[in-house]
Amino acid sequence: MLLEKHQELITELLSRYPVKRSALLPLLNLAQREEGYVSEAAMKEIAKILDLTPPQVYETATFYTMLNLKPIGKFHIQICKSIMCGLVGSDDLIQWLQNRLGIRVGQTTGDRLFTLSAVECLGSCGTAPMMQINDDYYEQLTAEKVGRVLEDLRREGTSPLKSGPFMFPQPAGSR
Amino acid sequence: MANQESDKFVTITVDGITARVPPGTLVIEAARQIGVMIPHFCYHPKLAPDANCRMCLVEIEKIPKLQTSCSTPVAEGMVVKSSVPNVEEARKSVLEFILANHPLDCPVCDQGGRCDLQDFSHEYTPTTGRFKELKRIFPKEYFSPLIETQMNRCIQCLRCVRYCDQVMDVQALAPSGRGTMTEIKHFSIHELDCEFCGGCVQICPVGAITSRLSMYDFRPWMLKRADTICTYCGDGCQITIQTKDNELIEVNSTHGAGRNNGDLCPRGYFGYHASVHADRLNHPLIRQQDGTYAEVTWEDALELIAERFSQIKLAHGADAFGGLITSRCTNEELYLFQKFMRVVLGTNRIDSSARYGHINGIQALRRVQGTHRWTVTYEDIVAADTLLLVGTNITETNPITGLKVKEAVKKQGAALITIESLLPIRGTISNITTLASHHVPVHPDYFGLAVLGLIKSVLEQGLATASLSERAPTFVQSIRSAVGKVPWETVERHLGLGRDTFVEAARTFSQAKRVIILAGQGVLRAPQGSDVVTNLLDLLILTGHHGRPGCGLGTLAEENNDQGAVEMGAVAEYLPGPSELGDQTARKNLSKIWGDEIPQSPGATLMDMLEEARTGRLKAMFIVGENPVATLPPQAKVEESLDGLEFLVCQELFLTETAKRAHVVLPACSYAEKDGTFTNTEGCVQSVRRAMEPIGESRPDWEVFSALSLLMGNPIEYGEAKEIFKEIRSAISGYGLLGPSATPPRIKDEVVDRYLQEGFKTDVEVRYAFEQENTQPDEMLTLASVQSLFHSGKFSTRAKGLLQIQASGFLNVNPVDATRLGLADGDPVRLSNTRGEATTKVKLLDRVPVGVAFFPEHFDQNIRGLFSLETDPQTRVPYFKLTRVRVDRMQEEIPGKG
Repeated sequence: MLLEKHQELITELLSRYPVKRSALLPLLNLAQREEGYVSEAAMKEIAKILDLTPPQVYETATFYTMLNLKPIGKFHIQICKSIMCGLVGSDDLIQWLQNRLGIRVGQTTGDRLFTLSAVECLGSCGTAPMMQINDDYYEQLTAEKVGRVLEDLRREGTSPLKSGPFMFPQPAGSR
Repeated sequence: MANQESDKFVTITVDGITARVPPGTLVIEAARQIGVMIPHFCYHPKLAPDANCRMCLVEIEKIPKLQTSCSTPVAEGMVVKSSVPNVEEARKSVLEFILANHPLDCPVCDQGGRCDLQDFSHEYTPTTGRFKELKRIFPKEYFSPLIETQMNRCIQCLRCVRYCDQVMDVQALAPSGRGTMTEIKHFSIHELDCEFCGGCVQICPVGAITSRLSMYDFRPWMLKRADTICTYCGDGCQITIQTKDNELIEVNSTHGAGRNNGDLCPRGYFGYHASVHADRLNHPLIRQQDGTYAEVTWEDALELIAERFSQIKLAHGADAFGGLITSRCTNEELYLFQKFMRVVLGTNRIDSSARYGHINGIQALRRVQGTHRWTVTYEDIVAADTLLLVGTNITETNPITGLKVKEAVKKQGAALITIESLLPIRGTISNITTLASHHVPVHPDYFGLAVLGLIKSVLEQGLATASLSERAPTFVQSIRSAVGKVPWETVERHLGLGRDTFVEAARTFSQAKRVIILAGQGVLRAPQGSDVVTNLLDLLILTGHHGRPGCGLGTLAEENNDQGAVEMGAVAEYLPGPSELGDQTARKNLSKIWGDEIPQSPGATLMDMLEEARTGRLKAMFIVGENPVATLPPQAKVEESLDGLEFLVCQELFLTETAKRAHVVLPACSYAEKDGTFTNTEGCVQSVRRAMEPIGESRPDWEVFSALSLLMGNPIEYGEAKEIFKEIRSAISGYGLLGPSATPPRIKDEVVDRYLQEGFKTDVEVRYAFEQENTQPDEMLTLASVQSLFHSGKFSTRAKGLLQIQASGFLNVNPVDATRLGLADGDPVRLSNTRGEATTKVKLLDRVPVGVAFFPEHFDQNIRGLFSLETDPQTRVPYFKLTRVRVDRMQEEIPGKG
């Protein structure tokens, strides 16, 4: 369970806030990092840690679309569907991805490798269309490039085409 | 003077009408006060403003945009316009958005006819909307056995969620998802597990949350309403019983009405079917030679009783009779019962269910401060700055008094000290100890010791009020020396908590301005109950709070009219008033009103009567609504006592275990079928009104007493319950006014003085002594028979709604104990001790203290035999709620239990 495994981190997270409840999002994030999604058991445990009831945790977890409430595949493809990416063809890419993976947006492939989500702007409009897979950005996408990324991930578990994540302010010495 | 006035009020104008309201008032409330109703959905006076529905927009001069009147406080000179074109335009848009998704299923919606959305739509919307899109549809999901959700109807005002959190402190409802797709849920796909107070049903402005108990059974305008008082605990909540063709349909409660201000608990909201259960007795019954019962007419039954009573009185004298009445009866009935026993039968041998514990508190209050009631009200609880709860388990026993405590803590910021056995762990049934600023977790055996610790700490820290040392030096000295004899090591050994635990609590308590102590069943129904209450009063006196406005001690009554039973004189030691049996002035006054002599012989308590019945001194008993066979543990030998009687009459709603031993059983009316008054735990006298016609041939209890008196040749006749009340008013002070709030009595200073100078001396050593208890062997658990939030006595186990939440007993144990004993949730277990054994199932609950197990008293048929029985030497209260048991996991499943 979370508390057993991350005792120190959780103590540190709690110490950041004057009100215990404020640590809810960091803890949900922690739970998601742990299992890829926020499980019911995790929500119950977080409720106990923060003196909340499980419905209160559930309420917050369902509000944030970036928290997954169902198990996801090894690679979570979040493709941008906002206007900038839309103008340069993200719709086609989404369609292409659905066909290629044989799933619809919101679904996971049978081999539990890929989950496809269409998300709002990820702040990389200058390099549209783009997507995020787990913690990495892939930009200026074409169907061909996405196909290579999928192949790389399937084979190697990572892809040299990735270009992120970017941090602001940028770490000293970068670029 | 004029300046002060204007400081206290601001003047605003709403639609041209001027209002003077206190600063801080919300515009919507100010408007309501002068009769301007601003439409709204999400606003509710009980809840903090949320301003999410936007329906209450108004124009305020000098503010460029429309403002939500529910979240805007008034300001001096504010000019508000609520019916100008742009406000009306805004309302139209808001409704157009709401109706974009709200289905037009009014014809099948239970809210139809009392729906805010329906009303406002009729008033403010154009008949067409511009939305062409499909309406939002949620898949139908099962929500709970009693509460139904129809989320397509939800307008997302979040009143239910906020009520659940802010008022009930339950937090069982969650708005899941976001935007249009926000949906009220419990936890994921799980069915609702909460207090089932029905608050969300009542507060929903549309038909999104409804009660399954009355689903599709009615239209609001078909219902006949009667405002009456709930009988499930001592809180005295006003409920509105709604009937259709003499059939109970629904119970609810109106905001702003009654002591509960519209809030209810599961018993009040979902428990109303108990009184119309199919097993209700419809005819008088007379037992035949072969033990079966024959249905007879009232005339035959009453004539037989009158004849047998007269014979027994002639043969054995008046004191061969004993009377026992339940405190669920009205004041009128309790009064008339004792009058019947005293005047017609001629005996003082009367007792009521107040004997099970309430009398402990009353004796202490009378002794120390000369009152038999609280000197404070619910309003004082809300206004208190420090509250001390001792052994209350308040959510389960007195949920609405609990709400007052929650309000004081959550809204007014009061400090809360809890001496409770519960652990402060939050769940979707509220737990008062989670709100405590100082929680002293105490094993249910040791509430008295914890109170002693608190007093000890007060004295050690020099927090006792200085003036008291002058006024009553020996009093302070005696207590100091008495508590000095119990060293901190002893306290620590038994409580597991030492001196440090009490330091802060003692300081908070002593330095407060408005202090209220509430003592609950854990104190009143446990050995030395009266002593502990007296000690708590000592604590008030020592800290100088006693007698100060807004300060005082309240004892929580378990039954709705425990307080009334004592005041009506339906207990062994008191005449109506209550006055002592030997009080000559009271006797003279009463015999003048009654036109008859009051018997000289002493009274007899429940336990004494049972004893005398066994020895053959008592020949006949008249038991009204009380069921000692199923209440007391077997070693009380109630069956043996009752079977030894020459004649037993029971007046009952059902053929209970006790009634099955009666020679004659008379069918009585439930509270829903009669008029009268109840006196709640805080001493507020409230009207009970007939909501439906009596079931079968049942009759109100008082009519029976009256009819019997007539047949026995000593008529005490009344035309209706009101006439009895008139007589009560002349006989008992405190019954003059039937107001919306309690009028608490004043502390009698001369009684307090007498207590401080002499009275305390008789037993101060005993009250503060602590005898070494037997320590609990490791393999044993303390078994406590406790009240469940979902039941009250055995009566509620006939309510079909409540049975759907809780239908059987189970053993609540802490997960730590469960692991130690190798138990998992749902495991069958055998409980055993020297008195016997019983089987049940385990249910883990992490707020139960380690080493203790809770079992709901309503389902204790099988386990009652395990409890010890001891009778208080002073107050004669039988104690049978605690014992020690071994808990073993059983290999095989218990057949037929699930």
